[in-house]
Amino acid sequence: MLRRTFLMLTTSLAMACAASQANAVCSPDYTGVTLTVASQTGPYIASALKLGADEWAKKTCGKVNVVEFPWSELYPKIATSLTASDATFDLVSFAPAWLPDFVPYLSEMPKEMQSGKDWDDIEPAYRERLMVWEGKIYSQSMDGDVHTYTYRTDLFSDPKEKDAFKAKYGYDLAPPKTWKQYLDIAEFFQRPDKGLWGTAEAFRRGGQQFWFFFSHAAAYTNNPNYPGAMFFDPETMDAQINNPGWVKGLEEYIRASKLGPPNALNFSFGEVNAAVAGGQVAESIGWGDTGVIAADPKQSKISGKVGSAMLPGSDEIWNAKTKKWDKFPSVLPGPFMAFGGWQIAVPKAGKNQKAAWDFVKTLTSPEVSGQAAITGGSGVNPYRKSHTANLQLWSKIFSPEEAKQYLGAQSDSINAKNVALDMRLPGYFSYTEVVEIELGKALAGQTTPQAALDAMAKEWNRLTDEFGRAKQLAAYRAAMGLPPKN
Amino acid sequence: MMRNDPIKHVFIWPAVLVVLAISIFPLIYSLTTSFLSYRLIPPIPPRVVWLGNYATLLQEPRFWNALFTTTLIALIAVGLQYAIGFGVALALNARVPGERLFRVALLLPMLLAPVAVALVARMIFNPTMGPLNQFLSKFGLVNLPFLTNGHWALACIIAVEVWQWTPFIILMMLAGLQTLPEDVYEAAELENASAWQQFWGITFPMMLPISAAVVFIRLIESYKIMDTVFVMTGGGPGVDTETLTLFAYQEGFKKFNLGYTSALSFLFLIAITIIGVTYVALLRPHLEKRR
Repeated sequence: MLRRTFLMLTTSLAMACAASQANAVCSPDYTGVTLTVASQTGPYIASALKLGADEWAKKTCGKVNVVEFPWSELYPKIATSLTASDATFDLVSFAPAWLPDFVPYLSEMPKEMQSGKDWDDIEPAYRERLMVWEGKIYSQSMDGDVHTYTYRTDLFSDPKEKDAFKAKYGYDLAPPKTWKQYLDIAEFFQRPDKGLWGTAEAFRRGGQQFWFFFSHAAAYTNNPNYPGAMFFDPETMDAQINNPGWVKGLEEYIRASKLGPPNALNFSFGEVNAAVAGGQVAESIGWGDTGVIAADPKQSKISGKVGSAMLPGSDEIWNAKTKKWDKFPSVLPGPFMAFGGWQIAVPKAGKNQKAAWDFVKTLTSPEVSGQAAITGGSGVNPYRKSHTANLQLWSKIFSPEEAKQYLGAQSDSINAKNVALDMRLPGYFSYTEVVEIELGKALAGQTTPQAALDAMAKEWNRLTDEFGRAKQLAAYRAAMGLPPKN
Repeated sequence: MMRNDPIKHVFIWPAVLVVLAISIFPLIYSLTTSFLSYRLIPPIPPRVVWLGNYATLLQEPRFWNALFTTTLIALIAVGLQYAIGFGVALALNARVPGERLFRVALLLPMLLAPVAVALVARMIFNPTMGPLNQFLSKFGLVNLPFLTNGHWALACIIAVEVWQWTPFIILMMLAGLQTLPEDVYEAAELENASAWQQFWGITFPMMLPISAAVVFIRLIESYKIMDTVFVMTGGGPGVDTETLTLFAYQEGFKKFNLGYTSALSFLFLIAITIIGVTYVALLRPHLEKRR
């Protein structure tokens, strides 16, 4: 009997020790907790979530189940789940533009996460603007998205090309400062007989097309003299998408479509990256993934020859208030935070909210997110100061000069005074759908740029009235970082 | 059990309730919703607009364009499927060598998921990397805009539909052909009727009832085309290849415009009913002649 009691005591002690050891490993301890995250189909973003999931599992002993949906299905899946207030997802990853639609169903970020070293490390453009909705934080950036310019340094530094270019256009071949120069360069390198084309952009409906168009237009419509008036007049909520700045942007976007590979009209961003990495084009615009993929020798034919710069700009910008072109003493670069970078949030209906926010903390920590940012195909681009400051981190994929240019373009774009924010508005899909349809017609030559933009503006104004002009105006001003209108 | 035995209700009502629950109630709910202005995102409280959604849709050029595109795809695709399918079924029925192998091979496309077929088709029709354009470029036809020009894109979608669903027609027609009586053909042979005369005088008329049914099924199915278009063109360029179901999907699951989408669904139902009724009315005299 005594022996049995002694055995039981020893066993209990051993178990208690083991448990305390396990607890020491799992900090905080989320053993038995499984979080479900909604993501777009990998590798983009889903692989970054899995990377974060592995780290979180090591740290907390919890599990993360990443459920993937095709890009076009992600919004309906999340929206359906949120509006039904079910607990299908503990976390949702989504585009910032969808935030206004999702806000009523999301929990606020815990206050303790909104301060400290890691918090201050997030670039202000994300921390103070994209992550904020009506003064509150409902989501965390897990990716930084701004359109930048990518080019082939081997072509741009070739003396023969430089001489020929200068002889033809009268100025030096270099990363373009204006969109006219961008089109000149594309035209110069348009050599289908040699398998080389000028540029690659997305033109396919449903293929991230309209962000590329917005990037062109941002240079002519994001006027620092009348901030926040790129998409709508922030005083009246009248659509601005058919003003002369947008017309110029669309004309140049259409011109770019004719200076790309033959299939360019069917390009989504994936095809843009393939064309750049395949050495098919001399230049391109797009998200930071382009530079990372093009630098990767496993995926690219132009590894070691990748240059980056900010998007071209303009010295003339349309003023939506005065209805005139404002002339500036020098060219203003036109960086555009296209898409704005994936956000991750915790639904109110989620049953594991504390664990979910803890996962967000791990996923977006400088270490884990830094690793994701340098992984080609993760879909994560720099959004922390530490991402762009750590040149050593990037030396794994870039040469020193490539890294300097790439990180410089990212950092300068995000921190530019005149950086244009993407549209974030309730009913976002309704607004962008008509843009996609009319862009398709304009690109196919079925309608003129002005007529296409007039049709967009008409539908935007109709939608604004249907959704409630005052409500939409308030939301738009909040999205553009403008104070509420009295 | 007596005819008026109340116990029958115990057996009947559960089935009736199940049918009501899974079929009739959603239909009624959807019909009710079609009379409302009702958006889930951004959330707008439902408001009765009676026939407002229907009136808006009927004045919407995009609706008519989608109806026209769907009809075009359905009519051309089903027409080609029937002609090719009947021809192949006749050949297989003639006991050609390797008939079994052909039969299995020809049925394979039908067994594939339309999404997978569309994905493969998208690669084949790729102007720069697709094998089709590489092949055509040898004949001087370089970089044809298969999926970026409205007319070409429609033709590609029809081609994929024909490729995938002709086997269904082959299967049904072959089954029909194998039930035809041999003695009629023997009598025709004695009368020295040519193969062509046998086809028009015997095979085609006797196959008319099954042809009518097969074409009707395919026609209705073709009107519901969605996945192929979604993957291959996304409805573009512009709305050149947008079908009714894709239009409804955009309105319902992208814009969450529930009232409008419900009205669109009922207009779709009405259009299909009209087409079905017209089809049956046109064929009835010919079918009744066969009785």
